[in-house]
Amino acid sequence: MQSYQLPHFPTHLSCVHTALYTDVSESDLLRKRLITASTAEGSTGERERDAVNFAFIEARLITSVEHLRTAVYQAVLAAAQGGLRTKTVHSEIIWALNPSNNISEAMRRYGVSDTTASLVVVRIGGPELLAEDVERDMDAAIKGIKAPFARLEDLTDWTAVKKYHKLGNEVGIREVKDNPERERAVVDGIVVSSVAMKSVMG
Amino acid sequence: MASASLNLISGATLISQGAEAKVYKARLTSEPSDPAVLLKHRFRKGYRHPTLDGSLTRARVAGEARALLKCLRAGVNVPGLRMVDAVEGVLGIEWIDGQSVRKLLPGGAGEDEDGASEDDPEDADSLNEYDIPVDILMQLIGQEIAKMHLADVIHGDLTTSNMMLRHPSSFKSRHPTLSTELVLIDFGLSFHSSLIEDKAVDLYVLERAFSSTHPDSEPLFASVLTAYEQRMGKDWTAIGRRLDDVRLRGRKRSMVG
Amino acid sequence: MPGRVRQIPLKNPDRPYLAIGLEGSANKFGAGVIRHREDGSTVVLSNIRHTYITPPGEGFQPRDTALHHREWALKIINECLVKANVSMHDVDCICFTKGPGMGAPLQSVALVARTLSLLFDKPLIGVNHCVGHIEMGREVTGAQNPVVLYVSGGNTQVIAYSRQCYRIFGETLDIAVGNCLDRFARVIDLSNDPAPGYNIEQEAKKGKRLLTLPYATKGMDVSFSGILTAVEAYTFDKRFRADGQPRNPDDQDIITPADLCFSLQETIYAMLVEITERAMAHIGSKEILIVGGVGCNERLQEMMSIMAKEREGKVFAMDESFCIDNGIMIAQAGLLSFRMGFETPLSKSTTTQR
Repeated sequence: MQSYQLPHFPTHLSCVHTALYTDVSESDLLRKRLITASTAEGSTGERERDAVNFAFIEARLITSVEHLRTAVYQAVLAAAQGGLRTKTVHSEIIWALNPSNNISEAMRRYGVSDTTASLVVVRIGGPELLAEDVERDMDAAIKGIKAPFARLEDLTDWTAVKKYHKLGNEVGIREVKDNPERERAVVDGIVVSSVAMKSVMG
Repeated sequence: MASASLNLISGATLISQGAEAKVYKARLTSEPSDPAVLLKHRFRKGYRHPTLDGSLTRARVAGEARALLKCLRAGVNVPGLRMVDAVEGVLGIEWIDGQSVRKLLPGGAGEDEDGASEDDPEDADSLNEYDIPVDILMQLIGQEIAKMHLADVIHGDLTTSNMMLRHPSSFKSRHPTLSTELVLIDFGLSFHSSLIEDKAVDLYVLERAFSSTHPDSEPLFASVLTAYEQRMGKDWTAIGRRLDDVRLRGRKRSMVG
Repeated sequence: MPGRVRQIPLKNPDRPYLAIGLEGSANKFGAGVIRHREDGSTVVLSNIRHTYITPPGEGFQPRDTALHHREWALKIINECLVKANVSMHDVDCICFTKGPGMGAPLQSVALVARTLSLLFDKPLIGVNHCVGHIEMGREVTGAQNPVVLYVSGGNTQVIAYSRQCYRIFGETLDIAVGNCLDRFARVIDLSNDPAPGYNIEQEAKKGKRLLTLPYATKGMDVSFSGILTAVEAYTFDKRFRADGQPRNPDDQDIITPADLCFSLQETIYAMLVEITERAMAHIGSKEILIVGGVGCNERLQEMMSIMAKEREGKVFAMDESFCIDNGIMIAQAGLLSFRMGFETPLSKSTTTQR
């Protein structure tokens, strides 16, 4: 797990914990659990929501650490300004990743799905939230193998990324199609920028 | 409590201040390994009605961000976006390590504002450092502008100060023989247009910038145009003709009468 | 690009010089007598003007305006000479507005100037109206190297002196700011007395609601025609109350003429201040000089001072006797040219609308 701070934000939003899991199994159960938790009532509901209080992100659609961090930044910024479009800062990260404004489409694509095999998990909180506790909760919620973020680029499904961002026919992509390494860099550049400016895309 | 973006700025290093915005270098996270970003803050204008000021700032931040994304998608070399806070008027973009073309060409370093003397002595001939002959540099300029115009983005303020060469050490080149890349920056006055007139005026503005900043630069600008022409293809005929018209009338009328 | 070479300082004159200036490029006819003394100082001996005022809802037509100037020219010139206590024989040159402005009024005044020149055998000096404003502004305020915002019924320009020329850095791409104000005053039937812009300014003080209007700056240029259309459109809005009064106590969501004047002023003056600031940043000047009829507007002056303060600069604004078109500014600019050895031969004493 990687933790970092956003020191200029209000303290309750200033700590970010992120982890990457590969070989994830039972993602269908995880998805069902998230749905149940969101509507469960009483103290059991509270506890359940606490246990899965993370952003669960489809890792194959993340092109780089910068991509992830940009989405986290814009979500935290929206939360700090009282401008969330979704219920929580965690769902806001998923919303920020999706090119369109459709919330359920964002959850379907960038959230956990029944076929999810690798996951990026994010928790935003304050300094009172200890990294080891967060890590323990993450491990408890996910059946999979924790991996360093350097693995991210092997997991990326570039075809899906290009499709969702409608990059198939862009001049900038066509120009570099003979050089896969370069193409990935260009796609990543566009994707990161799209996430950064989503709030003003209009 | 001050907003997050203003906190961010208060800890950032001021790079320059223009009429529109202040520019800073900052880091978005606590991670020293995270790349630096350039923050462009369109600060509040006290003379403007607050409502008007707010909506204008928002629209301009959005406009600049959209122009940059449009360029990226069209394969124009521009800095990527890193964060946008339209409420506070802050745009965070990729920090580019390198040098402005203005300072690399004869005459451009003269009225330097941020003390080039601190740089190493090689600075005098720093095109060597970038390992790029002047005529190739001019070609790159022409090509990038053509790519931008093909995407119907008008820069609005083309000068040699608004173009940078990436420093070879900071950048993995995709080009077989070139170790640098030309990047167009500062899209603060840019807009979307497919009009021949707007493209011709964009070129004319650059031509004037060349002649006023770099002495005896006519052949330089001519090779910029040659590269532009090649890249624009059939669109060039009309733009070239219009450029001649614009030159004759001058962008700004003189005061006669 | 022809411009006027600025020789600073122009040597002090070897004797006192006297000039009369005649201005009539728009709806004001003005005459003024100026003296340049040996010590380099300048004295305004007289500055008199008469304005052609049309009924509310009407603008001034070239033909009628020319008639007005013809009718008033001799009366005003006489009055001007009497007040200055000089005779036409005493003046060194006769200065007149060559342009830019409305054709017919310009011609009627040029005709007067030519006649006087032939009658009294005095040299003629054709003066650019804008340069007149600027030179008078520099003289009155003592500004050294200002960015000049020239705003009037016919002109909207940001001008600065650079490389031996007055150069236009920014200008309107369509109608002038004063024209925009005048035409809107007609739409809401404001009086043209003393000036439509003045009445808009008074009305705007009562406005509360800022309505959205297009904000049209493009680099250092501005455009007003879209704003005029948009502000006019509000008068057809179902919330618009021409009398400014709610129809009943529940009628709260209303737009009044005062709101429109307020919104119009806030928007167009913000645009003008913005392009002025851009020009200042461009040439590195910290001085601003506002000239032209719209320059009398106190809100514009206030906004400009705030901007100047933020940049640690200074605004030079003038009182209305010099802001609004007048004869003395033509005399001032003309006499400076004359002392530089410039003269307009009779055959070249034409006028130009641009």
